Amino acid sequence: MREPNATNADATALPRTPTPDEMRRWDRDGIVALPGALGGAELARLQKAFDHWAAECKHGWLERVAAGDVAGTYYDIPDPLAKDTAFVDLVDHPSYYGRLLRFTDGELLFLAAQVRTVPVWPLAYCAWHPDVGRTNPLHIKVQIYVDDVPPHGGEFAFVPGSHREAPGLRRRPLLTDAMPGCQTFPGRAGDAVVFNAYGWHTPMQNRTDVPRKSIILIYERATEARRNPEQYAHIAGSLSPSRRRLLGVEA
Amino acid sequence: MSRRIDAHTHVFARATAEFPREVTPQFPADSEAPVEGLLAAMEASDIDQAVLVQLGGGEVANHAYLRRCLAEHPGRFLGIGLIPDDCDDADAHMRGLCEGSGIVGFRLRALGGPTDPFEDVNRDTVATWPIWECAARNDYVLWLYVEAAEAHLLPYMVEAFPGVRVVLNHLGICPGRGRFSIDDNGRPHISVPSYNPAMHTSWRLAQYENVSVLLSGQYAFSREPYPYRDIAGWHGALSGSFGSSRLMWASDYPWIADDPGYAATAGTLTELLPGIGEADRARLMGESAAQILRFPPAAE
Repeated sequence: MREPNATNADATALPRTPTPDEMRRWDRDGIVALPGALGGAELARLQKAFDHWAAECKHGWLERVAAGDVAGTYYDIPDPLAKDTAFVDLVDHPSYYGRLLRFTDGELLFLAAQVRTVPVWPLAYCAWHPDVGRTNPLHIKVQIYVDDVPPHGGEFAFVPGSHREAPGLRRRPLLTDAMPGCQTFPGRAGDAVVFNAYGWHTPMQNRTDVPRKSIILIYERATEARRNPEQYAHIAGSLSPSRRRLLGVEA
Repeated sequence: MSRRIDAHTHVFARATAEFPREVTPQFPADSEAPVEGLLAAMEASDIDQAVLVQLGGGEVANHAYLRRCLAEHPGRFLGIGLIPDDCDDADAHMRGLCEGSGIVGFRLRALGGPTDPFEDVNRDTVATWPIWECAARNDYVLWLYVEAAEAHLLPYMVEAFPGVRVVLNHLGICPGRGRFSIDDNGRPHISVPSYNPAMHTSWRLAQYENVSVLLSGQYAFSREPYPYRDIAGWHGALSGSFGSSRLMWASDYPWIADDPGYAATAGTLTELLPGIGEADRARLMGESAAQILRFPPAAE
């Protein structure tokens, strides 16, 4: 990702498929950073949609926090794809879609989008973890920063190579920044990172006074067992045929 | 065999002039859970000592039965008191109750800070700040069972008072508003979603050495009868993050006296943490409580 003091003018048009170097890093590290994945008017549209719906839905979230149904340490806009096309357009964005197809040999299934704000808090809101075990089909996440995320601003962190480690080899440290071999990914608005969720990852602590805004897109190597035609049936009418397949509405 | 300690129980007398207490639909004036019943249950299950947690009101007078039990059974119990919501001198209240009584700490159900996690938290404006200050000055334990809306405030206070021993009650769950009810046996039931928010709030406090957790209250959260296997995973997660030296088994007597019974409750962790070794089990069943709460040597 880019240094936080970079500008959007620094963003370069990304090739639509992974470079040989990215393929090497994907295999070896399990993570590929995509600086400037989004920029310009497209990023501004996303930021506007994010802020609008975050404000619109906040009261309901606070009620769910008070009811103990969700944690108060991160806030996801519910059902974002039904709320704004700015979110729908992320599911197959050219900055990373070709890479995801390549990493999954063309068998890609979109599972969910987490449009997430993380309030300032003394701790990272979750601990180091892999999302799934390696018996699960390949599980990939794309995290996009909606605003700048400086160092110590709740940035994403990953242990390169941990996606290939034997299960049980690595222990979760009590302190977030005490994970051996970890790499943090501060970045600018519009930067993205694609990672293999077999690998150990976490948000870092946010020691700034600014909440972290990001979008996490979750994909998997497509299997019939994971496809849920009902999940996005309510927005199927607004989706192109290829997006209906990607979201599992159609086989 | 190492000491076995029940780290959270309740005893209370009928409401009388000698033992005044709050009377509510859940605690009518003639209801009681006398200490003799607890002692008999402990004896039958080889439990040496216990923590008595005040029920029935926070006024000094409401603690009469608790103080009587502590005085009559020296070395057997430690006490946790309450503080009235409208207490205007927490320091005097706390010191007055603890002086020579065996009461070593206080239970809080609210912290008194902003419930919107996006609001700035000025720690010293949190309503319970004077209580935390008093606890820090006098080495009192704080026994926390705060509501979900305030769960995000916990690390601010824990971090501000690293010398205060904090014990998160009942698996670290922070009950949601409107999720409390009374079950068919007249005991608390807390509805917790299958996604457990504690994982992202109170359980994150594991990195603070002054925080420990009670392994108790399973009956109130589980959707299954004893041994509550649907929440076995919570125990594994707590064990993995806090470790056995900062976890304490507790029965939450008398709510378990009939279902599943005290002896069965004393075996809960054998059911829910079957893979742990003997040393860890000994810590969970008493050694941790002895160290964290500084229990005196067990009475003969």
